[in-house]
Amino acid sequence: MSLKTTIAAAGLALAAAPALAAEGERVQITGEIIDTWCYFSGVMGGPDAVVGSAHHTCALWCSAGGIPVGLLGEDGEVYMVIKINGEDQSASGDTQLTLASHEIVADGMLYKRDGLNYLVVEAVVEDRGITNLNHEDYGVVPGFAIPKPKN
Amino acid sequence: MTYLKTLAAALALVATPLVAQDFSAGSNAKSWNLYAEVPATFEAEVVDILCNVAGDCANQCAEGRQLGLLRSADNVLVYPNKNSQSSFNGAASDLLPYCGKMVDVDGLLIEDEEIPGATNIYLVQTIKEAGDADWAKANKWTKVWAAKHPDAKGKGPWFRRDPRVNAIIADSGHLGLGLSPEEAYEITR
Repeated sequence: MSLKTTIAAAGLALAAAPALAAEGERVQITGEIIDTWCYFSGVMGGPDAVVGSAHHTCALWCSAGGIPVGLLGEDGEVYMVIKINGEDQSASGDTQLTLASHEIVADGMLYKRDGLNYLVVEAVVEDRGITNLNHEDYGVVPGFAIPKPKN
Repeated sequence: MTYLKTLAAALALVATPLVAQDFSAGSNAKSWNLYAEVPATFEAEVVDILCNVAGDCANQCAEGRQLGLLRSADNVLVYPNKNSQSSFNGAASDLLPYCGKMVDVDGLLIEDEEIPGATNIYLVQTIKEAGDADWAKANKWTKVWAAKHPDAKGKGPWFRRDPRVNAIIADSGHLGLGLSPEEAYEITR
């Protein structure tokens, strides 16, 4: 193989590389299962308001609605959950729905791609329940999440 | 020299994701008045994210898996978090018929440097298979949900009638803390 051919082949291989699955890194991450659309888009307010108990009902709606869930790590990074406890139904799956707003310790594989963190959660090592009681600061977000009592 | 130019072009393609590109030309996307939204229309392949990112491909393109848009112009994987509906709906149901196919999409990109990870996030409003003339609205989620839940018919939006959501709220309340609806309502006013 000539030098020219080798250079061209190397260039094309590099160009194709992002399309291939990356090698993952084993990680253990502590954080809260969040609804990523509200968090990233700001559609319902700032990041501190669209997590925790204040946003729990909305997090349930979004998770059931197939919006991707993420793990908001203690480091402030969002890890997009694409599989959890062997369940690949990351659009509206049962396991992630039951963990909405919960603080968990997740063990799994981390993949980084185009500015996003993708996480395959192999095991939820610990489920601490809802620990961010931010309804004390923000009430409920959105305000209509809790229907007004009829009496 | 020609080969060196080829290599330089290939390396530039690899480096492209590091530079934000403008895909707003030709977009007819409607604004949601979001702080970091950018109209964007582009050609992409609809891919199974778990397969594309982690190599877990045995069940690729199955219903319920998240789907991505592998953008042709720069090979960037765009994550459609949202369809065009305004009632807490993701985009996987709308993209599923196109999994493995080339499409054109129009919608809103979210690029917010102040929020870690808020990049290459997308709200897809319309979609068509590459080469087709007619665009389809990305608004199928609620119809798919209704077909799956014939027993949940009734007044009000789907999210007030979803059996799984309602079971969790009945068990632990709207704040997830075990309060009754009346108690939760009172302490959040």
